[in-house]
Amino acid sequence: MSDKEKDFKSLDLTVGDVFSKEARLKARNVNVYYGDKKAIDNVTIDIGNKEVISFIGPSGCGKSTFLRCFNRMNDTIDICRIEGQITLDNDNIYDSNIDVVPLRARIGMVFQKPNPFPKSIYDNVAYGPRIHGLCENKEHLDSVVEESLKRAGLWDEVNDRLLSPGTGLSGGQQQRLCIARAIAVSPEVILMDEPCSALDPIATAKIEELIHELGNEYSIVIVTHSMQQAARVSKRTAYFHLGKLIEVGKTKEIFTRPQHNQTEAYISGKIG
Amino acid sequence: MSKKFINPLEATEIVKNSIKKRRAKDNRLRLYGRIAIGMATCFLLFLFFSIFTKGYPGFFQYYVTLDIKFDRERIDPKGDLSDTSLYEGEASNIVNESLFSIINPQGRKAKKEARKIVSSGKDLRIAKLVKNDPSLFGTVTKVKFALDDDIDSFLRGYINRDTPESERRISDNVIAFVDKLSEENRISYEFSDYILKGSASGNPEMAGIKGAFFGSILTLSVCLLIAFPLGAATAVYLEEIAKKNKITEIIEVNINNLAAVPSVVFGIMGLAIFISIFGMPRSIPLVGGMVLALMTLPTIIISSRAAIRAVPPSVRDAAYGIGASKLQVIFHHVIPLAMPGMLTGTIIGMAQALGETAPLLMIGMVAFIVDVPNSVMDPGTVLPVQIFMWADFAERMFIQKTSAAIIILLGFLITMNAFAIYLRKKLERRW
Repeated sequence: MSDKEKDFKSLDLTVGDVFSKEARLKARNVNVYYGDKKAIDNVTIDIGNKEVISFIGPSGCGKSTFLRCFNRMNDTIDICRIEGQITLDNDNIYDSNIDVVPLRARIGMVFQKPNPFPKSIYDNVAYGPRIHGLCENKEHLDSVVEESLKRAGLWDEVNDRLLSPGTGLSGGQQQRLCIARAIAVSPEVILMDEPCSALDPIATAKIEELIHELGNEYSIVIVTHSMQQAARVSKRTAYFHLGKLIEVGKTKEIFTRPQHNQTEAYISGKIG
Repeated sequence: MSKKFINPLEATEIVKNSIKKRRAKDNRLRLYGRIAIGMATCFLLFLFFSIFTKGYPGFFQYYVTLDIKFDRERIDPKGDLSDTSLYEGEASNIVNESLFSIINPQGRKAKKEARKIVSSGKDLRIAKLVKNDPSLFGTVTKVKFALDDDIDSFLRGYINRDTPESERRISDNVIAFVDKLSEENRISYEFSDYILKGSASGNPEMAGIKGAFFGSILTLSVCLLIAFPLGAATAVYLEEIAKKNKITEIIEVNINNLAAVPSVVFGIMGLAIFISIFGMPRSIPLVGGMVLALMTLPTIIISSRAAIRAVPPSVRDAAYGIGASKLQVIFHHVIPLAMPGMLTGTIIGMAQALGETAPLLMIGMVAFIVDVPNSVMDPGTVLPVQIFMWADFAERMFIQKTSAAIIILLGFLITMNAFAIYLRKKLERRW
């Protein structure tokens, strides 16, 4: 740990190792305000290369807000203000000369509620490559769509009805379609905001399996309410409470030997 | 357990007792609703019934069939079928001669009255016939002519032959002539060829809605072309792009207020701005359309904003999340999803504009214009103004023409709305 990083660390109360050796995304002393209300208080954390990290914590603790800082989705909220620094491969994503369009192509997002476009399955997946001009011709686009659907584990279920509406799929299929849509633009990081909260256990299991596989290719940040899910899919876990990052560490350790008493209280079901 | 709590058995009993009352209330509410709907339907049916039964005869009028000797020398003195030549000809005299040979009027006064029996459009009708078919020259052919409006009203029974001569619009002589023509089976009641093809005219038997109809189409086209893009763009800007602050709030309040401004005020504004300041001509559909566009803009903006607001935020999130720019989000997702709602608002605005009279009176679209407007720069009038003008005329026959024009206006409106519904369904059906 360099001296500089120690400075960062000294500013907050986070327990555990917030830093990562192969960090892709680095958040440093991030504060987020909604109007006058402080939603995120001085959070510092690294997201490593090809690692699955989960954010857990009670409702309203700011984990979703913090997640949305990484692809600047909070920009769409007028009253939201962000302080501090978030870098992707050492470029500050909040720099004035950074355009959110390429940023969001590099950092994909999957939302809490499956939100396919009211278009065909094909068009849903092809939308990203189309707007970013990733494919020169139809054949290329077709293969990108096919590959994305395969990676999302949806190809076998929908290959015979690519032109039927994406909104006609079941909830779990819709969520996998959204994952396919996110990976079609070849992002480096995928942010997932409680991707399974609207799904039944079987669909959830499928998505979890998928996240597990995708973890070999992408850095994945997943916000979840379910501690079991965090334990199943992620290598690292970060525990948030009231806008503060309380503890970060290897998932195993967090769940077996939490260092902070708040984390322990949450894990053991005393709060949350 | 404290006394405050109700015994479960007791509670069941109370609920059971109150259920009857509650059900009765539900039923009463349902009954009121049904009565309201029934009454509204009755009013509507009554309205349609009365309009159609009153207006239906307006599409018909009385004609007299006369044998016309097509004498080229007299009808077309220059022999080139040009307008001036036909104008110099004496077609009216030929028609009157043919008429006189049947009814045989005696004396100057009777002849003068007899000349008025056939509508003054007779020479135009002959000119049209020979222009279409010059082979008529040299033949004697039966031709139908519209009867004068007073005689039309008499034949319909609006003028009673038992009232004293001095108190009715047609003289005993004329009644005798008409009886004579009826005896010879020369009078017929037929679908009017003036109501649809004719334009404004002081002679009610020749008056038609063609000019006003095309005036309405031109005016509405201008209105739509200005109001829809402007309204939709304003709505998109206010909902999607503008920051919510004091200025947008003021704009929003004012747009809502504008929707409630009496339409005549927009007419005065049009008069003051388009005509007085910019010096545009009066009575033209272009100015009319612009004034109506100002009037319909608030309606379109308000309904478009509502439609845009109804687009689920999750769709925007999805598009932004994948890296779509603001423009792409708006054009790929928000507008297509909001389109049905925006179109509904536009059609409501257009329907309002179609029926509007007051603002157009202010900019002079009430002028008496016989020609059909060929472009938005030609003076013209519109259907509701035409109806307004006809309703103001004294002649009895204009009442039927007014009713007929109202039916046409309603037909226009229903066609427009049907088209809008079709369009909306088609856009909605995509998903």
